[in-house]
Amino acid sequence: MALRHFFKHLTILTSSYGFCTLSSRFIHPSLTTLFNNINPKTQPLIPAKFSLPLSHCYTSLSHPSTSTLLSPYLSVRIRCPKDIADVFSEALMCFGASSTTVDEDDNCDTSNEICIESIFPESEDVDVCISLAADSVGLKMIPSYEVKTGEHYDWIKKTQESFDPVEVTEGLWIVPVWKTPPDVKATNIILNPGLAFGTGEHPTTRLCLLLLQRLIIGGERFLDYGTGSGILAIAALKFGASFSVGIDIDPLAITSARHNAALNDIGPENFQLRLVSSNTSSPSADEHKDIQEQTSFEAVAESEHETYDVIVANILLNPLLELADDIVSHARPGAAIGLSGILSEQVPCIIDRYSPLLDNISVSEIDDWACLSGTKKLSGN
Amino acid sequence: MSTLKEILTRRPVAATIRLTVPAGGARPAPPVGPALGQYRLNLMAFCKDFNARTQKYKPDTPMSVTITAFKDNTFEFTVKSPSVTWYLKKAAGIESGSSRPGHLVATTLSVRHIYEIAKIKQSDPYCQYMSLESICKSIIGTASTMGIKVVKDLD
Repeated sequence: MALRHFFKHLTILTSSYGFCTLSSRFIHPSLTTLFNNINPKTQPLIPAKFSLPLSHCYTSLSHPSTSTLLSPYLSVRIRCPKDIADVFSEALMCFGASSTTVDEDDNCDTSNEICIESIFPESEDVDVCISLAADSVGLKMIPSYEVKTGEHYDWIKKTQESFDPVEVTEGLWIVPVWKTPPDVKATNIILNPGLAFGTGEHPTTRLCLLLLQRLIIGGERFLDYGTGSGILAIAALKFGASFSVGIDIDPLAITSARHNAALNDIGPENFQLRLVSSNTSSPSADEHKDIQEQTSFEAVAESEHETYDVIVANILLNPLLELADDIVSHARPGAAIGLSGILSEQVPCIIDRYSPLLDNISVSEIDDWACLSGTKKLSGN
Repeated sequence: MSTLKEILTRRPVAATIRLTVPAGGARPAPPVGPALGQYRLNLMAFCKDFNARTQKYKPDTPMSVTITAFKDNTFEFTVKSPSVTWYLKKAAGIESGSSRPGHLVATTLSVRHIYEIAKIKQSDPYCQYMSLESICKSIIGTASTMGIKVVKDLD
């Protein structure tokens, strides 16, 4: 039943983009093609569509975001007089547009017209929306516009092109996989960030990396709670940790992290990844059976509680507050725990929540972002 | 008013992008992805920043964000709280306003609701200089255009 739906979707795609070779590739979709093909140097083959069937496997255990990530959208280019552009874009937003962009570079007309690019979800009726918006603003006639179906791989590629090697601190570089490391002798972490968080540029990643540099002396077991692209787990191994585990609720993150580990020549004997469901914190092994790439990464014994020497969680305020007990339960007494992804103004809230669990709490800050570190209390939990 | 220094160092603006994103739910997917990706802005940085700043709102409330993208691929953004109409609909528990406002009353709300909404709106950059009373008055005005009647106490 489900498969028929995939084929129906596929024929719509083939007709709008004119690709006839899609059908043979469709039979064995592989997640890794998504990340291999995004490399801007190789031929882009609209890889996002290949993973559509796989994204349906994940909808049971992840957010709906994986299926909306690759869903088509409508991109509409509207021309309207310059003086009402602002008001008109606000009106469009009220009537159903998901976003409007007003380009300051007027390259459409030298006259008083300006172009607004608007994005609508596929189900919206663009004509109705535009006419309602024009009506509410007071335009006498409906402005001219053209509708295109958005190509989702374009913007994935575009954002990836903007990554440069980043020097986090002396001797530590984060290098995208398509660039060469500027300093070959330094510790270089090669990344293909894909759609997961963690490129090394963000202040929170930097704070965590600096913290790791201080905490990891050699031989520790490390847990990256909310691993994203796997950057912290990989960095821990490069600094000398003996064993790294990365967990995340987003399957895209797990795939990205696995890919990045391979880029840095890190094997499953000292690096493991686990996909956890967002409701509970324990990994659900039977849901993994749907995933094609069943490697030894997933075969981890459950009795991993209370065995990590260093834990870092770079997520957001609310998850940190909710999962406080779970995060700390994975650490052995006296272990170092780092928390980030919080704004400086949110630090008091975190300190309140974690002071019964941690000793020696210290805060470091870059820009508006903060990182909290402490050691798990020796007695009690 | 901007100082001379600010004017001299003002970065050229490439575009102004308006988006509606659920609080705490920014992801590199449509609508955020294509809109920002076009100007090569760091998607992930925006998502993280936006999610961190909207943590105090209930998840999935639609926040309106205005992003100013500069030509050097950097950006700034301001987040506005959801529109008054959205709050009113939520408070009244209705999907859409009355079809004939002024003639047909869709539902009623008490002054308490208006007061709560005004308190949230006061932290918006646009309303900070207004007194709570005037914010309430404008909310009542919006309510009447939607066909929502405001009474002193709900029975």
